Amino acid sequence: MGNTRVIVAVYGPREVQNKSQQNNNQALVRCEYSMANFSTGDRTRRQKGDRRSTEISLVIRQTMEASILTHLMPRSQIDIFVQVLQADGGTRSACINAATLALADAGIPMRDIVTSCTAGYLCSTPLLDLNYVEDSAGGPDVTVGILSKMDKVTLLQMDAKLPMDIFENVMQLAIEGCKAIANYIREVLLENTKQLESRRGG
Amino acid sequence: MATTARGGGEREPAAGSGGGGGAAAEMEVEAYRRLFPVAYFERHLRESVRLDARPLASPRDTSVALGLVGSADGSALVKFGDTTMVAAIKLEVMTPPAESSDEGSVAVDFYMPPICSPTVRPGRSAEVAPVISKQLSDVIMSSGMINLKDLCLINGKASWIAYLDIYCLNADGSLFDAALVSAVAAFTHCIDDGRVVTVPGELEGKTKLPLVNKDKRKLMLNNVPFSLTCGLHKEHILVDPTAEEESIIETFVTVVLDTLGRVVSVYKPGGSVLAYTSILKECITLAKRRAQQLRNILNESVSAMEVDKSS
Repeated sequence: MGNTRVIVAVYGPREVQNKSQQNNNQALVRCEYSMANFSTGDRTRRQKGDRRSTEISLVIRQTMEASILTHLMPRSQIDIFVQVLQADGGTRSACINAATLALADAGIPMRDIVTSCTAGYLCSTPLLDLNYVEDSAGGPDVTVGILSKMDKVTLLQMDAKLPMDIFENVMQLAIEGCKAIANYIREVLLENTKQLESRRGG
Repeated sequence: MATTARGGGEREPAAGSGGGGGAAAEMEVEAYRRLFPVAYFERHLRESVRLDARPLASPRDTSVALGLVGSADGSALVKFGDTTMVAAIKLEVMTPPAESSDEGSVAVDFYMPPICSPTVRPGRSAEVAPVISKQLSDVIMSSGMINLKDLCLINGKASWIAYLDIYCLNADGSLFDAALVSAVAAFTHCIDDGRVVTVPGELEGKTKLPLVNKDKRKLMLNNVPFSLTCGLHKEHILVDPTAEEESIIETFVTVVLDTLGRVVSVYKPGGSVLAYTSILKECITLAKRRAQQLRNILNESVSAMEVDKSS
């Protein structure tokens, strides 16, 4: 998304690695988020378990879990690994969008496509998809994740203060952004499936 | 059971005309492949072909793309078939130690995040990662590719340290080779963009500091190393093994050559096949050929990048 580059790999459904966590009714979803050392402006040696990574891992996991039909795959595990190669704001959203594509590519059954987008409010204007510079300006930053066709919100995060009516505008803008991304993702998936079909000789 | 006509090709589509019979035969082949990997593999070797239908001495399709990561000073993406590596260099200023006050330094780090392979578990990094990291560091230093004196800014006070981070995004064999090419490519792309840096502890009492690093310049590389890993299985030499082949073959020889065709390093860490000198010489010849190929690919991508920049 712009200069933010993210790559996601999905492994599974496969055997649960830690038997004590095995769930007999549904699949276990695990997510790990990590940023490359060179992804931000200054090279920072990031520890694997640092707070921000853990928080974002949790957010992505819970967002995707809302959409994956986990009851179809009991006693198994689905791993989502996210690697950020270049960060320029909106990494959370880029990760969720990439994870949706990866899960679709893996053929894992989902209720709907989950897309996410950020929006902010600077200089009395709602802005869609803030980059790093705009984000560091200190204005509010709203991240929204929706199930596009079902029109349901699975993720909503905001920091900083915002009056209620402006908040509704900003959230609406973010939802529109999500829908636009969902259309694009759908086109890409359709194109990919057509290519696979033609390669298979069908 | 496995028919020899099928020459491997794990992603080969089932022949449409096969229908139900084709699907069943494909399942048997897959099962045979999982249950008896060595026999499956040797069956292919007898026909002088490998699991992905390559001839024994042929490496996979290689591609190099430079400048992938905008926020880094130099970056490259290298693909050997499915093996994917991203390398990025960030330059920072440091105070050089007293014994090498006119030299910069290079710090090499190789990571294998769990994204790269189903066998890497989060929380426990892959066994080979620190080994490859050390090998890369040794080869880059001993080949003399970078003249450390080039990285000096102010003698005794400031010099560049180049942090080279290599991330494996997909591990499908030949990790060291791909990592080395990505490191070399990233250095080729690395531009010292002449940004003004403050030297720690120098500001007191000085109103005007001379700008030391004014123009953009590229790092001068000499004696660029290229490597080739061959697997030895009984009497066959397999060039550029994939991960599946690596799990069956136990003996590997990695040869690193520089631009003048001199041997920088030979690495054969044990293994069940004891190689005669003739086999090692054969590996070195194959490595020479591969080095030429890699040099051409790298030069092509560099000129492609310069065309992009100037247009």
